[in-house]
Amino acid sequence: MIDGFNFAYLDEATKRMIRRTILKAICIPGYQCPFGGREMPLAYGWGTGGIQVTASIIGMNDTLKVIDQGADDTTNAISIKNFFKKVCQIKTTEDTENASIIQTRHRIPEKKLSEHQILVYQVPQPEPLRRLEPKEQETRKLHAYEEYALMHVKLYEEISHYGSVIKTYAYPVRTNRRYITDPSPTPKFDNPKMDFMEALQLFGAGRERRIYAIPPYTSVKSLDFEDHPFEIQTWDERCDICGSNNSYLDEIIVNDKGEKKFICSDTNYCEKNIKT
Amino acid sequence: MIIKDKILEVKNLTHYYGEQVGCEDISFDLYQGEILGIVGESGSGKSTLLKCLSGQISPSQGIINFCIDQNQPLQDLCKISEQKKRALMRKEWGIVQQNPRDGLRLRVSAGGNIAERIINEEIKNYSNIRHKALEWMDKTEMEKSRIDDFPLNFSGGMQQRLQISKILSSNPKLVYMDEPTGGLDVSVQAKLLDTITIIVRDLNVSMIIVSHDLAVVKFLTDKLLVMKSGMVVESGLTDRVLDDPQHSYTQLLTSSILQV
Repeated sequence: MIDGFNFAYLDEATKRMIRRTILKAICIPGYQCPFGGREMPLAYGWGTGGIQVTASIIGMNDTLKVIDQGADDTTNAISIKNFFKKVCQIKTTEDTENASIIQTRHRIPEKKLSEHQILVYQVPQPEPLRRLEPKEQETRKLHAYEEYALMHVKLYEEISHYGSVIKTYAYPVRTNRRYITDPSPTPKFDNPKMDFMEALQLFGAGRERRIYAIPPYTSVKSLDFEDHPFEIQTWDERCDICGSNNSYLDEIIVNDKGEKKFICSDTNYCEKNIKT
Repeated sequence: MIIKDKILEVKNLTHYYGEQVGCEDISFDLYQGEILGIVGESGSGKSTLLKCLSGQISPSQGIINFCIDQNQPLQDLCKISEQKKRALMRKEWGIVQQNPRDGLRLRVSAGGNIAERIINEEIKNYSNIRHKALEWMDKTEMEKSRIDDFPLNFSGGMQQRLQISKILSSNPKLVYMDEPTGGLDVSVQAKLLDTITIIVRDLNVSMIIVSHDLAVVKFLTDKLLVMKSGMVVESGLTDRVLDDPQHSYTQLLTSSILQV
């Protein structure tokens, strides 16, 4: 560990404050709890919320995995992993199964998570109603009084203009039949995984200073209309590397002629598929 | 009239802005299907009264009792929770704003605007919502083809029609209208008034209309309150008040109508 820093970078009082917020968030699934977000040694938008949550819950015996868009080897993922290696000297891994804490940006691992794991999301905008209602005072009331017609107006608009709901990421969900929650910018492909997930899901928004949570085994339903039910993305192609036809695929342009390939966005899942 | 049809009961309603009188000692009853007009010059307390009645501000003194369900006793508007008040405004009551841009979401399509009040009633079926929205556009004589257009690009008259569709689509019991035809040219005004009358009589909805336009009031309302300096100076059946004004201010008001 480097000198002059507390374990996991944050001081103990801050960690305690964040843990209290997390406990409150778990008690009220989907409710956005304000917390005193600290300055972190990286820019807002790079995962300051997620890092603070991870720093508050991480212990000596934890194994950390960090993914960005499903990949273990992207800049954001590696930087955050290195950061925690430096300030905690804990074990890190790329193996989804072996990780006790997984910090993620934009994806949920394809491998089913277990009760012993915690999934920490980095969230840019925690308020699903923000684009519909700019006033914080008003959105809080909308949540408190369960006035959620606006969200369905949004879905109505998309169906009227485009024939179907075109929102493909950050697709709003109803948590525990109560709060409408933003699943952070994960693709809607991952929404069904959140429903009754065995792992604890924690969401940290650093810039907006909000933490919310979905406890294990909690119902998470994507919003829809009876006659326009929620659907996830599908692909005609298979992963070019491992041949998977049931994972989330990224489209990659491979040459100047515009030829493209599809590969798994979850790198660890892809690797394991090749080995077996 | 039978007592159980009463949907609003106002007693000694008074509101002060600090030392300043907003409105003072106002009492009246409103029955199902009745249309009440409130006239008076600028600053006479019409808007203050309307704000009190629609729960936007709580009055300094007085009682506002309302009825939603005929089998239930009257409830005091000032004593219900904010949550109930908001629910009331979403479904049972509605306010048609003078400026339709205040009552509409300009970047949501016409259909979406109407849909908002319909969705509140727990309809979660897209086709039903759309069908109902079209029905309401038809009733207010809007072109159905404009259902997916944004009110931002509508004319003033069309915007007002849309606002009225939106409010009425939840089948409200009581609608407040604040200068519904203000800012519209005379021919558009006349057509809009026609539409309002037909729909309102059809739905048997009660209305309170605030206006300084006596022609509008004469055309639409059954009863009339004339306000001056925060007080009601004269009240009664609209025809009676306008044909045979008693108070000097009402006399001044009726004689100031421009004759063409």
